[in-house]
Amino acid sequence: MFKDLYNQTSDMPISIIFMAIMLTCLGLIVLSSISTNQFDVIAITTFTKQLLFLIPALVGFLTILFIPKYMIHKYIYTTYSLMLMLILIPFLSETIAGTHRWINIGLPMSVQPSEFAKWIVVVALARYLSDHNLQMKRFTTILFPIFIALVPAIIVLQQPDLGTAIILLTPILPMLYWVGAKPFHLFILVAPVLSIATAFHTISFTVWAIIMGSTLYLTRPRLIFGVVFYFGNIFLGLLSPFLWNSLRPYQQKRILTLFNPELDPLGAAYQTIQSKVAIGSGGFFGKGLGEGTQTHLKFLPVQESDFIVSVIGEELGFITIAVMLIIFAIFILKIVKLAFLAKERFPGLILIGIGTIFMAHVFVNTAMSTGMIPVKGLPLPFISAGGSFLLSCFIMIGLIMKMGDESIE
Amino acid sequence: MLKSKNLVPRSRFLVANSVIIFVFTILLIRFFHIQVYGHNEYKKRADINRIRAIPTTAPRGMILDRNGQILVDNYPTYILTGLPNEMGNDNKNFSVISNCTAIDTAILIDNFDRYFRGRFIPSRITKDLTFDQLSCIEEHKHELTGINYIQFPERSFPSDVHMSHVLGYVKEIDRSLLSIMDDTEQYDAGDLIGWRGIEKQYENILRGEKGLTFLQVDAFGREVGTVKDINDIKPIPGQDIFTTIDLGLQKTLEKAMSDYRGVALVTDPATGQILAFVSSPDFPPDIFTGNTTLREWREIVNDPTKPLLNRITNGLYPPGSTFKMITAIALLEGLMIEQDEEFECAGIYQFGDRVFKCWKVSGHGKVNLDQAITQSCNIFFYQAVQRVSLNRFIKLCRNFGFGSKTGIDLPNELAGLLPTRDYMNRRYTSRGWSRGHLLNLALGQGDLLATPIQLAVYINKIATRGHTFIPHFLLSKVPETTISISLNEQTWVNIQEYLFHAVNDKHGTGSAADPKINGLNVYGKTGTAQNPHGDDHAWFVGYAKDGNQMASTIILVENGGGGGRIAAPLARIAFDYIFNNKIENRLAVK
Repeated sequence: MFKDLYNQTSDMPISIIFMAIMLTCLGLIVLSSISTNQFDVIAITTFTKQLLFLIPALVGFLTILFIPKYMIHKYIYTTYSLMLMLILIPFLSETIAGTHRWINIGLPMSVQPSEFAKWIVVVALARYLSDHNLQMKRFTTILFPIFIALVPAIIVLQQPDLGTAIILLTPILPMLYWVGAKPFHLFILVAPVLSIATAFHTISFTVWAIIMGSTLYLTRPRLIFGVVFYFGNIFLGLLSPFLWNSLRPYQQKRILTLFNPELDPLGAAYQTIQSKVAIGSGGFFGKGLGEGTQTHLKFLPVQESDFIVSVIGEELGFITIAVMLIIFAIFILKIVKLAFLAKERFPGLILIGIGTIFMAHVFVNTAMSTGMIPVKGLPLPFISAGGSFLLSCFIMIGLIMKMGDESIE
Repeated sequence: MLKSKNLVPRSRFLVANSVIIFVFTILLIRFFHIQVYGHNEYKKRADINRIRAIPTTAPRGMILDRNGQILVDNYPTYILTGLPNEMGNDNKNFSVISNCTAIDTAILIDNFDRYFRGRFIPSRITKDLTFDQLSCIEEHKHELTGINYIQFPERSFPSDVHMSHVLGYVKEIDRSLLSIMDDTEQYDAGDLIGWRGIEKQYENILRGEKGLTFLQVDAFGREVGTVKDINDIKPIPGQDIFTTIDLGLQKTLEKAMSDYRGVALVTDPATGQILAFVSSPDFPPDIFTGNTTLREWREIVNDPTKPLLNRITNGLYPPGSTFKMITAIALLEGLMIEQDEEFECAGIYQFGDRVFKCWKVSGHGKVNLDQAITQSCNIFFYQAVQRVSLNRFIKLCRNFGFGSKTGIDLPNELAGLLPTRDYMNRRYTSRGWSRGHLLNLALGQGDLLATPIQLAVYINKIATRGHTFIPHFLLSKVPETTISISLNEQTWVNIQEYLFHAVNDKHGTGSAADPKINGLNVYGKTGTAQNPHGDDHAWFVGYAKDGNQMASTIILVENGGGGGRIAAPLARIAFDYIFNNKIENRLAVK
């Protein structure tokens, strides 16, 4: 049995787990620095908690390694339905921290089922898209995958958790692209979203209309389709300000706060400023572990998860940030390469989907901490504190090891 | 299954790689821009201009009486805080403060440690600073580092009533308290939290929400101004609470009760509103605001008359003869007695091997139910109650609210003790007690224990023929109904008539309760409850009615002796005040 396992693992991309361990260690180092000044009666700090969370993460990782590929393929739709039920459970109980995000399991910690939705959606999408009868050249076949991701995304959005909802939707485009969907079809998918988004700004709407027109001109679809698509989108764009105005003020405010938390009086602007000051004051080499005044002033309410990059930037400097980003880049490039080398479509698609999830997390988290995009609560893989997310990350590592077969090289 | 080939054009692979490299390059440039290119500027901001977010306390809501007169208010005091990170290690700060405030350095340091929550969070050093002390500290500001003072609203009690058990008090949260609280998200050390009484019950209404002031501070902890681009978050003051208490009535009854240990409780049966709530002896409500010396405090705690005990919700007493109406109702409801049926009272009654006595040694002679209540004859009830089964009797007690909490809006109410068959079997084994237990119950004695607030619900049910509400203090509260009870209309009529006679008949034991006001009918029952620990407790329970207006009164005087002699006159004071002072206009009419 152990020999079998060895034969299996010897073909696996060991460098992936190696990079994951490096990033986890960086996370633990930073969390131990944050924890030094933590005031708690019993010795449970963020750091010790994260150490404990490594146990379920490791178990999850090993479990995935032992499940055969065909089993994953066979039971993923069942798992998907189960997951839908799980993310609905928190709505039955009272809110925790104002959202329906967590399930209370009777332990001092709660479980956040939507974390697991991320990779379950990816595997479900992969199974659907790897059906060999699929006609990728037809536009209608790409509508069903959207449905697969949209259902959990809408539920998660009600919790409310915009960050996770966005993460659930991001794998769709790269995965469709990977199985050979026409770029024009993908363009059709994205177009209505952009039409609505640009509608509130005259110049951007004009630019968008020109881009849309020239794309249609270059791709030359059937005349009737082109006309309907173009004017449909323009009409949608023109209509949306009116739809917006028909909403009640409190509904408008709720939507605005969702997309731009700076309108929230609790002061997301304050968080961004503090995060930038912390990162910037760290300089090239950082102030040293445990020496970050900005960090220990507790300006950032979620410095152990959403704003952990600010702590790294302040205490360990640009040099560490750069190394970290490069590891993440190599990590994701490696995943994409494994996806390219995969012999079958199903594992290849899973790899692309997981790669997208990691990519989206890293980008949203770091871009938010540096003030490039509005504040969205998304943790940094392997580094941020949080048990559900760490477990989910290591399950994804398990999937990568399972699906990424290097033997061909 | 897995047959689909992974045929991906190399071009798409390259596009994916380019996107990844492009995004990471952008991120690297961004970090480089902030950390290396912008380092000097950000370093300056971090070193010189630290933004400090200082929580601003929201003033707690006031507590008012039903007419808007203030019972509990806030007055501003100044507290001195120190920022541990900026204070340095020597004790120079403390000695300067000690010189200015004349408070011992050791006490200051002790306080400072108690509120310490981290190096970068201001910790409290002392409070209640006077203007002189403040100016002294301001003069010596150059010798102090990291020391600040802020305004802090403290509770004050401008009215001259005590009501200490109702109002409760607030407590300052310190580190030891913070570690045992569930709700640490909302509170910080140094905050006030309602700890007893209304302050606790309506904490969510009274508390308000804290605000934040953002200040720029230089490296020495000196304020250099507010922060632009960030607006302060204004605190949301707590809401005021109108209580159902009538300040004048409360004051009158507190004065009347000042010589006694006991209870005076006035409610409106039609709404459940509590008009006066006196548990005597009590204590000044401001003893918790920090000006009480340890010696005064010990005196209160060790006082044998137990001023800290809220006798109305937490005092357990045998209700005595005030309980006789339960037997009467059980008999009338079960059609087990005729209106004019008489029992012989010879002053003494033998039951098995036990002898029960009437309070009138010579006996009442032949009495019917009406006379038995009016004159409070014991022997009548000893005999008549034997027609009722224990279970039926207990069920009726339950319906009147005995043995369970009334649901009054005060924390920690007790449920009293209703000795059911199960209870008696558990306590005395099934052979250890007999039907004599029921005879004790009929007289409100034996194992039975009730709180005065339970008696208020009981008498309010009689006054409203079962349609009363849970007693409460919050004026704006929609009254909640009590356990429903349905009796024959004739039973209610009879019981009310008996209670009327007990006050108005020439033999009535409660005649001292009638203030003799035109149009005012007073109903009531006295009680003289035996108590194993000393002299009898004096009871009066009853209500007065003028047209639609009603008020019920529960009086208890511990070890006071006869209910008719001691308790009834106190009830008269309450009725007299209410119906002579036109409070009727303010009582809600049902």
